Amino acid sequence: MTTLIDNRPATMDVASLVEPDRVHRSVYTDPRVFDLEMERIWHRTWIYVGHESQVKEPGQYYATSIGKQPVLLTRHADGNFYVLYNRCAHKGALLVGDRCGKLKELRCCYHGWRFDFDGKLLGIPLEQGYDDTRFNRDGEEANMSRAARAESYRGFVFASLSPDAPDLKTWLGGVASSIDNMVDRAPDGELEVTGGVLRYEHDCNWKFFVENLNDMMHPMVAHQSSSLTARVVAKKELPAEAPVPSAIEIIAPFTESYSFFDDMGVHAFDHGHGYSGGKTSIHAKYSEVPEYNKRMEAAYGKERVEEIFSVNRHNTIFYPSATIKGAIQTMRVVRPVAVDKTIIESWTFRLKGAPEELLQRSILYCNLINSSANLVGPDDQESYRRQQLGLETQANDWVTMHRDFGKDEEIAPGHYYGRGSSDISFRNQYRAWKKYMSEGAC
Amino acid sequence: MTADLELHHRVSQFLFHEARLLDEQRWEEWNALFAEGGEYWAPATPGQPDPVNHVSLIYENDLLRKVRIARFKSPAAPSLHPFPRTAHLVSNVMIGRSEGNDLSVNSRFLMVEYRRDNQRSFAGAYTHDLIDEGDSFLIRRKKADLINCEGPLESSSVWF
Repeated sequence: MTTLIDNRPATMDVASLVEPDRVHRSVYTDPRVFDLEMERIWHRTWIYVGHESQVKEPGQYYATSIGKQPVLLTRHADGNFYVLYNRCAHKGALLVGDRCGKLKELRCCYHGWRFDFDGKLLGIPLEQGYDDTRFNRDGEEANMSRAARAESYRGFVFASLSPDAPDLKTWLGGVASSIDNMVDRAPDGELEVTGGVLRYEHDCNWKFFVENLNDMMHPMVAHQSSSLTARVVAKKELPAEAPVPSAIEIIAPFTESYSFFDDMGVHAFDHGHGYSGGKTSIHAKYSEVPEYNKRMEAAYGKERVEEIFSVNRHNTIFYPSATIKGAIQTMRVVRPVAVDKTIIESWTFRLKGAPEELLQRSILYCNLINSSANLVGPDDQESYRRQQLGLETQANDWVTMHRDFGKDEEIAPGHYYGRGSSDISFRNQYRAWKKYMSEGAC
Repeated sequence: MTADLELHHRVSQFLFHEARLLDEQRWEEWNALFAEGGEYWAPATPGQPDPVNHVSLIYENDLLRKVRIARFKSPAAPSLHPFPRTAHLVSNVMIGRSEGNDLSVNSRFLMVEYRRDNQRSFAGAYTHDLIDEGDSFLIRRKKADLINCEGPLESSSVWF
């Protein structure tokens, strides 16, 4: 972690760090920029908190963070979920220390103040001691604070710490359809988080991870040693007529050709959102599960099922905090810690009503691609780390985003398209970044 | 008693040998210690019941171990340049259940790893499900339960 050594004034002109076709290296390396990002992006816009299925029953909670703010996702007896700051209204201690669980009430470990799952104060020991003081037991300051906004889109709970954010559906815009497609792939029309979580610590800035998701010029280079090797080893070890194991089906497409990734294409929307793939992706050629297809057709009818399966996206980014792979029912969540430290959580979802093989494939995918000890992810991580270190050099202050600059195609209002190898995704993210970071914009 | 001591000695020597093959990067010899269908498993949650319905740090059969070994030799793996060096220490060896030629062995491990100016350590419990072949053993399953398996964990490329 280093502070930018230059003659920049104390009040930073952050907008000058981003130009339409290039970005200043300090956005990745300067802790002051990171602090501003927390304030102006992460504490202002919609951030993914968790999935409703993590708090199915009243009293269940899930502890996480929004930017640097510790929060709880809870389920109240009224049936609603709430996003609360994980802070006792009394002396400020975290109300829960575990990551998830089920409780009768939220009781502070220190002086025993008790709260309901909507944050309302239930009781204080020796309550009469506050009589005739400025402390109002029935006022807002006696309750746990709530996130300014909390909404669910088909089970995915996002919250904003600013009251000014647009409603969630409007903010999601063109990428809401990626959530739709993931949920529609469940015969019962519902998802459920299950199978645990992988928490992978990255010793780099959070933006390297988010940028990499729709960077289609890297897989055939960075993943040669895993993907290409897997193809070679499988060919050597397995009899020619043997069915291709799921693990190889998953790893092999990472070294598809440039033209394959170009054809996947990249779609970009407002707020930095976007997805790659659409008609096809690296997930399109997985073996079919006949029983699953049968249950889908029984639920939706043949025509609708074909429509659902015809959408096959690679990564969808809900900038800045969440990314999903609808076609394989996995999600990676970005939790920034410091300018050069980020935790990436990897979650799997059960398609309700589908055979368990589908969930097991999602789990296998996460083991092979998203685990910290897997064959693929460490090469991405190493590349980000080398960027983090390489961008310390003072020789060249700018990072290029020139590829296919000026060629983005507006295919619908606010919906831009570029071929897979275009830098459109980076430019789109920094367009949003600049808007967020210029004070006042939301 | 003598038979127990002898078995304990043979098992311990086998575990030390297995750890040594990892540290000396003799990967093919290490992989040859596994029985047909043998598995390597590093769970991602304490007490994780199975590797199929829950994510794991590593869950590998023979084919995936061979992919990993081939990757170790690839010049195109950025995370392996420089390559990590390790010292696996195996201790507290206790034979659990044993039935016929099948036995389950519990031990504790400490793996210290060095790579590019950085030394770090991983600790936990091993469970080795072994087949006693008389002169040696074969591994049905090696399970490495890290004490911090639920993370957050940084990248790692070699077997615990």
